[in-house]
Amino acid sequence: MIGSPSWARRLLAAVGVFGLAFLTVPLLIVIPMSFSSARALTFPPPGLSLRWYDAFFGDARWMEAMGTSVIVALTSSVAALFLGGLAAYGLRRGAFAGRGWIEANFMAPLIVPTIIAAVALYLGLAKVGLLGSLFGLVLAHTILTVPLVIMVLGVALREFDIRIEQVAWSLGASWPYTMRKVVLPNLAPSVFAAWIFAFIGSFDEVIVTSFVAGELDTVPKKMFNELILQVNPIITAVATLLIAFTVLALAAVAFILGRAGKLQQTLS
Amino acid sequence: MTRSASFKGAGYVVPLLVVMFIAFNVPIAYMLGLSFWEKGGGFTLEHYAGLFKAPVYLRVLANTMRIALIATLANVLIGYPLALWMRGLGSRGRMVAVALVVLPFWVSLLVRTYAWIVVLGNGGLVNRGLQWLGLTDAPVAFLYNELGVTIGMANVLLPFLVLPLFAAMIRIDDRLLQAAASMGAPPRTIFWKVFFPLTLPALAAGTLLVFILCLGFYVTPAILGGGRVPMISNLLDTLINQIPRWEQASAISTLLLIATLLIFAAYRWFDRKASA
Repeated sequence: MIGSPSWARRLLAAVGVFGLAFLTVPLLIVIPMSFSSARALTFPPPGLSLRWYDAFFGDARWMEAMGTSVIVALTSSVAALFLGGLAAYGLRRGAFAGRGWIEANFMAPLIVPTIIAAVALYLGLAKVGLLGSLFGLVLAHTILTVPLVIMVLGVALREFDIRIEQVAWSLGASWPYTMRKVVLPNLAPSVFAAWIFAFIGSFDEVIVTSFVAGELDTVPKKMFNELILQVNPIITAVATLLIAFTVLALAAVAFILGRAGKLQQTLS
Repeated sequence: MTRSASFKGAGYVVPLLVVMFIAFNVPIAYMLGLSFWEKGGGFTLEHYAGLFKAPVYLRVLANTMRIALIATLANVLIGYPLALWMRGLGSRGRMVAVALVVLPFWVSLLVRTYAWIVVLGNGGLVNRGLQWLGLTDAPVAFLYNELGVTIGMANVLLPFLVLPLFAAMIRIDDRLLQAAASMGAPPRTIFWKVFFPLTLPALAAGTLLVFILCLGFYVTPAILGGGRVPMISNLLDTLINQIPRWEQASAISTLLLIATLLIFAAYRWFDRKASA
């Protein structure tokens, strides 16, 4: 505050720095630990090596889990992007009754505690015999990531002037042509951001996956199961790879949105 | 345009509506139904009554509430000053600080939880530091108890509180504070009478959001609690995956869902006030 005594400013800065450190230091510690040569998690690591990365990439079960994770994340994020994109367009451009309720329904998987979604999806998929199937898993992930797509594209569509579309129609462009040549090129950065968010959302999902995936393993599910049993240093390498993946994906989003001047709008 | 105005654009939402209905609404409704369903047919409240008879359920509930409250309180105590400090930074400093808050938010929950095993373990950074400072001889047990679970949850949820609080704080006009100062208000009064009340709706909204998320937390208690700190979600895991008692699990989920929706309604109310 204006004219606050200097001790108060210093205290505030100390708590602020502590808060940022509390958020980031654990993640920063994991990275050097993944290059440790030792089995025990001692800090600082006694020596450096790539043995845990070798162990990860050389393990057939981890690689299979990775394959499943990529397939599920790709399929469900594309499905979420397609269904969520159409829905966001309808919600923003349409004038039908009950839009508020429908949008609330679409956002519900984000609001309902994931554990409840996990229980409900387990019971539902068990009933129709899809427990442990790839299809059931993709369906569950699509539902869970669709709210992210609607959020990002909903904001983007609100900012995109409808008159630009109307001009295209009035000049005789068909709806698919308008979509392909006018709407999508303008929204491309946000569509990319929405897809990345959906992909990360699916790739990191662990709660619903560990309930409904049965024998199928994804990277987070395998990581979770191993962590419950015992701490294996391979996990540290996996964690570092996941951190690198997240940083790169977010950097790509920030770069594309920043170039389009839409970073501020999507973040807020 | 031959379609009537009241259905304009409705076609776009139909595909998702169908998928959402089949894959989300129906399973939730099935779960609600199961919690009131007696084997052999008929309505019953027996699954709910059973919850209040078994001391284990009440103990888990009390556990969950206590951990959720402490983690939420810790979040407020760290998050409010953090957001306030970020507000006072220059534009470049703010950007870096926001990036440092947002990034962990997107990193896998599992990775963030695991990081605490590395940091808080017997040979980890914190115990090494405490021993080096001579504060303790034997390593302090941070993991596989309530303390570890609370630290891990507070960490995972901090961005949910800091980001909306920070957004509300930067909307407060500096001239308002200057006006109070020019009329002779001391800093303490400016903070408590002008600044704090303006951030209260965002603080309330953020606190409720964090509390809701605490109630349904699954991964962090399972890993950092080492099976010794059961919360509602871990109980649900047991009732579904280990000893199949689906009706009981449905009843617990239904109660948790109702509690969540009530708190969420309060959250929305505060959130509207915060952004108004």
